[in-house]
Amino acid sequence: MTAALWQYFLGGVVDGAIFALVAAGFVLIYQVTGIINLAQGEFVMIGGMTAAALTTGGMPVVGAAAIAVVVAATAGGLTYLLAIRPARGGTALTLLFITLGVDVALRGLALFVWGTNPYSLPPFSAGNAIVVFGGALPPQALWVLGTDVLVFAALYLFFRHTRMGTAVRAAVANPPIASTFGIPLRTFAFGSFVVAAAIGGLGGVVITPIPGVQYDAGLTYGLAGFVSAVLGGIDSLPGALLGGFTLGIVEHVAAGLLSPGWDQGIGFFILLLVLVVRPQGLLGRAARRA
Amino acid sequence: MRRLSTAYAPVAAVIVAVIAVLVWFLPSYYTGLLTLIGIYALVTIGLNLFMGYAGQVSLGQAAFVGIGAYTSAVLAVKLHLTPWLGAVAGAVAAALVAFALSFIVLRLRENLLALATLALGIVINVVFNEWDFIGGSSGFKGIPGFALGSFVFDQRAYAILAWVLVGVGIWFAGNVVQSTYGRALIAVSAGELGAQALGVNSEGLRRQAFVLSAVYAGIAGAVYASSFTYIDPTSFGFLLSVNFVLMSVIGGLRSLWGAVIGAAIVVALGQILQTVIPLVLPGARGDFQSFFLGVILVAMLILMPRGLTSRFASDGAA
Amino acid sequence: MTVTAEPITLTVSAVSMRFGGVQALDEVSFGARGGEVLGVMGPNGAGKTTLFNIISGVQRPTAGSVQLGEVRLTGRPVDRVAALGVTRTFQTPVMFWGLTVRESVCIALTACEFGGSYPPRADRALLPSGLGMPARRRADTELRARADAMLERAGLTHMGDRPTESLAFGEERLLELTRALAVDPRVLLLDEPLSGLNPDEVGEVLRLIRGARDSGIAVLLVEHAVGELLSVADRVVVLDYGRTIAEGPPAVVAADPAVIDAYIGDELE
Repeated sequence: MTAALWQYFLGGVVDGAIFALVAAGFVLIYQVTGIINLAQGEFVMIGGMTAAALTTGGMPVVGAAAIAVVVAATAGGLTYLLAIRPARGGTALTLLFITLGVDVALRGLALFVWGTNPYSLPPFSAGNAIVVFGGALPPQALWVLGTDVLVFAALYLFFRHTRMGTAVRAAVANPPIASTFGIPLRTFAFGSFVVAAAIGGLGGVVITPIPGVQYDAGLTYGLAGFVSAVLGGIDSLPGALLGGFTLGIVEHVAAGLLSPGWDQGIGFFILLLVLVVRPQGLLGRAARRA
Repeated sequence: MRRLSTAYAPVAAVIVAVIAVLVWFLPSYYTGLLTLIGIYALVTIGLNLFMGYAGQVSLGQAAFVGIGAYTSAVLAVKLHLTPWLGAVAGAVAAALVAFALSFIVLRLRENLLALATLALGIVINVVFNEWDFIGGSSGFKGIPGFALGSFVFDQRAYAILAWVLVGVGIWFAGNVVQSTYGRALIAVSAGELGAQALGVNSEGLRRQAFVLSAVYAGIAGAVYASSFTYIDPTSFGFLLSVNFVLMSVIGGLRSLWGAVIGAAIVVALGQILQTVIPLVLPGARGDFQSFFLGVILVAMLILMPRGLTSRFASDGAA
Repeated sequence: MTVTAEPITLTVSAVSMRFGGVQALDEVSFGARGGEVLGVMGPNGAGKTTLFNIISGVQRPTAGSVQLGEVRLTGRPVDRVAALGVTRTFQTPVMFWGLTVRESVCIALTACEFGGSYPPRADRALLPSGLGMPARRRADTELRARADAMLERAGLTHMGDRPTESLAFGEERLLELTRALAVDPRVLLLDEPLSGLNPDEVGEVLRLIRGARDSGIAVLLVEHAVGELLSVADRVVVLDYGRTIAEGPPAVVAADPAVIDAYIGDELE
């Protein structure tokens, strides 16, 4: 029993690592623009799909991965330029509905480009499963966890130790004053979409060797990602990390004990619980911007 | 134009009469589409009361359609209850679930309410999927149809039934939005704290609007189950909820006819795209239509955020 | 001018409010009588709006309580506080966009009858409204007449059919005040009702405030225009840094060195 639990836990850690990346994208966009981007999961799908399709076509993994991240980032940038920016001044709800439309459109586009077949990607490093205290982790899990470390460290360094990061934080804290100081809010909004999409795309590339990917995978990632983000606090990057791993582990363990079909239900049950009991999330400051 | 747009009952009666005649001349494929439009329109009318008039948001409306459908189907198959009572039971079940959940989700506003209702829709769908008593993922087959005496409903009868319900639904909703009650909903949506400071129980109003929207969805679900004779969890998933939002937005959130127009456009557009896309883009599957639906949703929100009917049929203002 | 015969209607007892490390209100106590205008003065950040938020139920105090007669208001939601007879206006008028001016007043006149209120009012409940019962139609006609009477009292008869979206700022203030009067309150909290108004509108609002006082309402008035406030108030409470520093008739308070100090200090900052 304990061994099984431990195995579920390890599986949850891998899930949590990808959830945290998606959540980071949510938080980034929300912090900079105040928009809840329901299309965030599609960037993971786009990253995974592009990489898988290119390697299936014979391209080396490294090149395919690089292109996949660029494609995802481009999708993020276009989302901002074509859908978000023309609607600026719209209500929070209008913008939310727009991201919903983008989500549906990107999924439809993926269906057109790649069809309904599942794609797979070979693991980046060969070798047997890694044994951790009797539980098994696929070697690819290290790549996913490594990406987490890299992405969150980079975000931390950017926000805390660069002039531009400070400018972004100032802009978030007080947009009117920031713009009088010449801080380009719109450029930051555009940037947040590009970076969030690139993070999502990178997550898609590193996670795909484990579960594979198909055109509608983005919905699952997106939903889990924003549950994680709300759980951790939608205005907190450390919260995204904490929320992602918490959700991944709880979902995986609970689904292991109940039945696999329940995992999403449990995730959303947690979301409901958090929204009611602590809407600002585990590490967040405020549920809504004043 | 404006007077026509707010004379809900007479216009609805004319539409129902036209459809009752039309179904005798239409091929059954189109009659089926009419039924579907009617069912979706019914859901969207309820959704517009909640989103457009009361100013809230639901991204999980399909779940209430599912609750209505499953309730009616289970009662019909397992207890041999007539779908007429099944529809009532479906509406009651959806209303009860909405009432209970309102204490959780309606504490939230805007973005968070959207996320909570989305979550709710998915949790309820998981329950449909995992609960073996109601068929689990394989769903429910052989759901008995509606009958009047010895006449068992056929395609035509379902189209007429669906549109009679749309007519009744729009008559009721029309009375609501033209009453002081409906204006109180608008007041809550426009300035909740201001309305509360006068003594308006905004929480109660939002709850009632939520429950009412669930009743519309529950009845629609029961008709859906019987007319299609087969339901499974995928029929009531997240994408259906998105479709309802699309219908609302296209027609105009604060408009009852907009709900009907939105439902008609989305269903028709889906059919057209399904036939046209493979001709224009060989190799593209029909499901590619969701790309266009998404694009249309975005374009509508950017270009006409108040919907197609905003020019001539917005109630309340003016 | 003060009607001392009236009993205390609204009692604020030792109300304190902390936001994190900031003490916004510190044991503020006072009473307000029906038929008086009680001016609430104080420099920026003195806690006036916080005080109104606490009385009207928007915020809960960290300590202390507010009572209307014998009924405790603290802990009740905004709409219950309003139903008991305490209503308010806002610094930025809250308009019901989507409704006309008359419809907005109709909502105020019937405010306590929606959303499963108790005792239930058949006229305004969801089901009778949806079923279009004839009784409801009669009630609506009568309601319209009452709303027009309210508009006439406020001098807004000509605006009845205008959409609220089309109102100028001063008209919004007047409509909000008319709405507040339409609920027939015992206590009326006005948060800077004169700011942003032209002289004609200022005169109109002052007329309505005096009318409300004469009809027996306890009017609490927060206002930055000190001259107007002192001219209309029967009594004044002065807050500074969350504490009451003076209380009494306008002339006395205006001459109080502590008050002058607080205001001049504010000017110098």
